Amino acid sequence: MTAQTANEIVLDKVSVRFSGHVAVECLSFRVIRGEIVALVGRTGAGKSTVMNLIMGTLAPHRGTVRVSGLDPYFQFKELRGKLAVSFQTDRLLPWRTTAENCALGLEILGHPKSKSVERARHWLSRVKMADAADKYPHELSGGMRQRASLARALAVDPKIILLDESFSQLDHVTSQTLRREFSELVRSLGKTCIFVTHRIDDAIEMADTILVVGTPANLVLTTHPTEKHRTDASLAAELHTAIAVAMGDIPDNAIPDDSKV
Amino acid sequence: MESSAKGGIHWDAVASREVMVAALRHDAFATAVVIALIVIAMQVASYFTPDYIMPPPAKVLAALWQTLTHDYFSVFVTLARLFAAVAFSMLLGTALGVLMGTVDWLRPFLRSAVVIDSGIPALSWILLAVFWFKNSEIRIFFILVVILVPFYSLNVYDGIRALSKEWLEMFESFRPSRMQLLRMLILPHIVPYILLTTKSVIGYATRMVVFAELIAAAVGIGARMGLAQAVFKIDEVLAWTVLLVVLNVMLQLVITLVERRLLRWRAEAAVR
Repeated sequence: MTAQTANEIVLDKVSVRFSGHVAVECLSFRVIRGEIVALVGRTGAGKSTVMNLIMGTLAPHRGTVRVSGLDPYFQFKELRGKLAVSFQTDRLLPWRTTAENCALGLEILGHPKSKSVERARHWLSRVKMADAADKYPHELSGGMRQRASLARALAVDPKIILLDESFSQLDHVTSQTLRREFSELVRSLGKTCIFVTHRIDDAIEMADTILVVGTPANLVLTTHPTEKHRTDASLAAELHTAIAVAMGDIPDNAIPDDSKV
Repeated sequence: MESSAKGGIHWDAVASREVMVAALRHDAFATAVVIALIVIAMQVASYFTPDYIMPPPAKVLAALWQTLTHDYFSVFVTLARLFAAVAFSMLLGTALGVLMGTVDWLRPFLRSAVVIDSGIPALSWILLAVFWFKNSEIRIFFILVVILVPFYSLNVYDGIRALSKEWLEMFESFRPSRMQLLRMLILPHIVPYILLTTKSVIGYATRMVVFAELIAAAVGIGARMGLAQAVFKIDEVLAWTVLLVVLNVMLQLVITLVERRLLRWRAEAAVR
């Protein structure tokens, strides 16, 4: 595998402005194939703008964005089926059953409806939602709806999955369970995943690499949590503090020197 | 009764069904009382006035029976005209509404045309149609379509404007074609708006078709009512009127059934 193909997502000196307001400032990072990356920052830091750049719904004012070697904005259609997104809210269509919702992406890709629904049922069973396949969204709980939303993203078998604060609206226990199950699934499938979160614990638990962005979005810290950080509470706390400082949640001078990473 | 939330809106399907049945029973009772009062008032009025002013209810009932057994063709013609015009207006109005909602450069032109159309009184269209078209079927069809299309197009346009940006963003993340966007997202989303418009306009459309028939046709309920009025058969006029009310209620019922079938995915909400 060449270095270029191993880089699934590349942002190079990207800047975005909205009517004078700077949302992203000279942001550069690379995500290699099969990596799970957390994009962490405070609310309003421009994390969702970065996601929109990768999704291809927004063009940068400066710099370049490449997804699988393609410009996601100008080569929008060419990334069809290669990239899927799960959002903060489930965004299930109320007139479709859960299985039909999960089949939506497949239908858009041109698969026949019956086959799409069949494949959607398989993915629903992978996220433990087989029993709810024929229910309408209003009959599901918040956690079930979010599972369905994740199954919808996975069903198209994308190379890249983007999660935009997908677990943030769930209660702590549901969110934790879902995060764990999802990261296991994504790792086993070898997908590349970027997830946006403002919860540092989520990032430490799930990610291979954590990219901490300031406000406006520019890279202020890159860190690679290991299994030790996930199992050792004191190491996790240290990393948590370092990320919080980088995000600007805790002033640097409030941390004793021996606690700094 | 236990509900899933205290006060305000609760979403319990069983509870909402019970509330609905109770409300329907209450409505049926109130309707029966109102009908009884009208019949009593007609009976009392008939004692003091000649038959060409207010015939007794029994005579109206006899005329109604006569109408139903001997003049059902007029009912059929009126219903056929109504159905054809409403169906065509629904298609045309929806197409215009979709264009207004999705083609930016076309929107101001279409919206202006629709707003101007909706401002023209129905009577003007009826009088103009009499001059413009020889064929009575085309006249009535034209009158109904120009009156009904703005309702559909403006409501569908509003529906598209109300389309959730979040759904659109989710849908676009799969990179659909414009046709897929229309077929899988926009059209299912506007179905409730189309049904609501049909429910709102059906009574108005029934009145308009009868009015148009009165002026511009020789067959149909409106034409028959005009004829009855010309020969002072007020019992027949009232019989047709009763029939129109019943027809309107039945049409509303049909639309409600269609709505329940098409919108079965919606959660029933009951407000306490």
